[in-house]
Parts: sequence; structure tokens; C-alpha cells
Amino acid sequence: MRFKVAFVLLLMILSTTISTANPGGKGDSVRSRDCAGSCHASSSTNGISEADLDIQYPDQVYAGLLMEIETWISFVEVSSNNMVGVSLLVNDEGAKDLPGIDGWEVVTDPNGGTNNYVEIVDSFSLQNTVRQTWTLRAPSSPGVYELYVAVQHGTPDGGVAMTGISDAKQVTVGEVPENLPRLSPEWEPVNTRLIGEETEITLQLLNTDTAFVELKGSNQDPIPVVDNKFTIPAAVNPGTVEWRVIMIGEGPTQQSPWFRITAQEPGWEVDEFALYLQGFALFILCVGLVILQRPRSEGIESNKYDNTEDVTSQFGRIQESSPVMVDQSVNNPPIPEGGLPEGWTMEQWEYYGQEHLDSLARGGQQ
Amino acid sequence: MISAGTFHVISTELTIGMFALSGVAFLLCAIQKGPISRESVAHWALLGGLIATPFAIVSGVNAVPGGGMDEPILANKLLLSMTSAGLAVGILLRRKWGGQVNLRHSSIGMLSVGLMLVTAGMGGEYSRGETLLLFIPKETVMLFPTWASIVLLIIGVAIVGKSTIEHRA
Repeated sequence: MRFKVAFVLLLMILSTTISTANPGGKGDSVRSRDCAGSCHASSSTNGISEADLDIQYPDQVYAGLLMEIETWISFVEVSSNNMVGVSLLVNDEGAKDLPGIDGWEVVTDPNGGTNNYVEIVDSFSLQNTVRQTWTLRAPSSPGVYELYVAVQHGTPDGGVAMTGISDAKQVTVGEVPENLPRLSPEWEPVNTRLIGEETEITLQLLNTDTAFVELKGSNQDPIPVVDNKFTIPAAVNPGTVEWRVIMIGEGPTQQSPWFRITAQEPGWEVDEFALYLQGFALFILCVGLVILQRPRSEGIESNKYDNTEDVTSQFGRIQESSPVMVDQSVNNPPIPEGGLPEGWTMEQWEYYGQEHLDSLARGGQQ
Repeated sequence: MISAGTFHVISTELTIGMFALSGVAFLLCAIQKGPISRESVAHWALLGGLIATPFAIVSGVNAVPGGGMDEPILANKLLLSMTSAGLAVGILLRRKWGGQVNLRHSSIGMLSVGLMLVTAGMGGEYSRGETLLLFIPKETVMLFPTWASIVLLIIGVAIVGKSTIEHRA
């Protein structure tokens, strides 16, 4: 029987498959491509992704200014959860490849964060191309730069982590023309707002005579920017609104990247003092209510462990059957007139005094 | 060093493991079946779980991304865990003071264990968004006014104090 059980267990162990992927992903983060080793077991066990990868740049990229790029991921089969990890990198060597190394700054990643690695769930397939938008701030020094897009994903059958990286995609970062209408480098976009509230956004525009704002997917006319301010209508439901500003001045007309502003439900708030006080009160009250459950008649579990009655009765029987105990103090030998012999104690006299007196009576030495 | 999140997982598994063991032992006590050591196992496991509970709570608070009580499920976790811990401490004191392990005692023990398991389940829902406890209204927080909590606290302290004095007498 034992042999059969051991055989079945061994068979079950041998039938397991070894999975090297993290099908649930590891979360968006700032990550180098060597994540392929740390996140997906040994890189030597990875497969090579057959995804077609590309990066689309705007026509003009100016040093230190915001820009928008698109990453394209095409013709890829992934695992059943349709998740792909997408990285934006500056080399394909697996080290010192973060965009910040070359002076790029990820202002908004496709998931609304500021990471170079994001996990995208979309309709990836051999027929589809999935496009994701990144808002970057270009390096402050003009020159020719390279960006790479890398992917990590599972397979329909599972078990193997697939990785892939695009060819180098070059982009020329130019000097900013002196009269170029643009947003100030110090300006930061607003990313969140509450539902039901209009949002007034203040811009910092340079070299701009006129500006207006477009809302993505909206049929409304462009919103004029007055005194560097404009207002986005209130949101009724949670969601994201994308907007961009068109800047007109002496230089060539410029469009900002699409900025996202997410409407959120107001956060849940609670009086923490009242909450902790109630928690402590419940704790003390529960302690009290439980120890109050001891009925007065229950006593100290006398029935189970208290054997006093048995011991008392047995002791009584023993006393009755034992010889009568004689009070030794009554029969102590009389103390000689001169007191106890020298060196004797009273206790010694009680036990050995009679013997001493008897030896004296027989004429022994005193 | 390990992160607060990892330490929270360790301490939570210790807590829940010991509470679960205690719950099974209390069940055996309630039905008067099983090994004679069931009473000892129930109470010692409950004590072990109680010792691990503060570590789970502190590490859990540190592991929350927002760092505050910004979700109703967290508030309910706090209230449930404190209630469970209160029942557990009461059970242990009652036993130490000689209370019999009868059906009522065992039932309170199981209730304490059940509340702690629900607390852990809510933690899983908070971190992963999935739960089997679909029927529990976790988004509703029953928060007393401060004066009511103070009254409860006074009543609780009075009961505990009275019971302690009676026991010593």
C-alpha cells in the first residue's frame, strides 16, 4: 500500500511543468531590461518574441520640450490574460539602458504613471497592432538619440517567458528656436480632479500670442485660453479626458502632447481618532463580556480537578487505623536540677535524655 | 532587509495558521470529540495567534500604499480584528481563571477565530480584489460617535475591573 501511495506521489511530481514566467506581471516600474533575468527566472530559459516593434516620433523634437511618441506592438501571440510588459530603453545591452541615462524624462506613460516599464492589457494577436502613447521630455542637449521598445510576454501555451526588443529608432533633437511658441519647462500638468467639479488649468506659455485647447474625441469647439487659463467642463463619471494646447506666435505654430486628466471619486475619509477609539472600546468590551460569562455557581472548576474530598476521606481512614499518636512533650525526660548537661540542646535532650538518665542510673559516667 | 509587505505576509500567515488551528481545536471541544489535548491546543494556539497579531497589524499598516485609513475595508479590518482579539483575550482569561471549556466557551472561541479569518479574507480582497466572502458588506463601516465609544470603553473597563476583583476575592 505504501509503495502504491509513494508511486502515485512520485508520478504526480514528475508530471508537473516548470513555469518560468510571471503571468500576472510584476507591476509598472522604472526597470532596466535585465529584468528579463530577475523577473522571469533565468534569461537563458526565455524565448524570443516574434512581435513587430516600432516607435513613431513627431516631426520636430526640441531639446528640453515635451513631445509625444507612439510605441507599436504588432503580430504577437501572448498568454490568455493578454498582458504584455513594454519597456522604453536607450540601448539593447540590458544595463544602463533607462531613458534617464540619455536625459529623457517619462512625463506620462501609457498607464498614466511616469515609468519606463508598463504592463499593458490589450487585444494583442497575430492580426492586431496595439499602439500606446508616451509623453516624454526630450534631452536638454540637441543631438541624435536612440530609443528602443522592448517587450516581455507569455505564450498561449504558457510556461515560457518571451522577450523581444526593437531595432534602434533614431530621433534628432533640435535646438529650440528663439521665437518658438511653447510651454515653459517649469510648467507641470494637472493629472487628477474630482468628479462634478470644473477644472481651471493655468498654463505657462512662452512666445505665444494666441492659444486654444482641444479635447480629444470631443465635438466641442476649441476652448480659448484667456490670461493663460482655460476651464475643462466637469466630469459626470470617473474617466480620463485628454487635451492639448495649440500655441500660435511669431514662430511655427506648435501643438503640445496630449495631456490626460483623470476624474476620480472623492476619496473615502474617516475620523481616525473615532475609529481607533471604537476599536479599542470593542476590544475591552469583548474581553469584559467574555470573562463575565463565568457563572458564580461554576466555581473554580472544582468538579474536575479538585480531589479534596477524596483525600480528606482517605486521610480520615488512615488516622482511624493508625496507632494512637502519643504526645512526646508529655513524656519528655525530666531535666536534671543542674540543668541540661553541657553541650546538650533541648531537642537532643527530648530524644536522648532518657537514655542518658538510664546510663547514669546504671552507674555510668555523668 | 525585507519589505513591510513581505513581513506582513509572514506575520499574517503565522497569525492565521494559529487561529485556524485554534478554531479546529475549539470545534472538537464543542462537540466533545477528538484527543484529550484539544483544550490545551485550542488555548495555546489562540495565545500564539494573539502574540503574532500585533506584528501583522503594524506591518499591514506600513504596507498600505497610501499610508492612511483611506478605504472602508481597512476600517472594517481594524474593527473586526480588535473585536476578535478582545474575544480571544477574554477566552484566555476565562480559562486561566478556571472557567470550564463548555459549549459556550468553545463557541466564543470559534467566533473569535471566525472574525480573525474574515479579517484576513478582507485583507486579501484589499490587495488582490478577489474574495469568497461576497455576502459580507465590507464597504459599509459602522462607526459610532465618539461619545458612544467612550461609553462602551467605560462599560468594558468596569466589567473587566469587577471580574478581576471578584476573581481575586
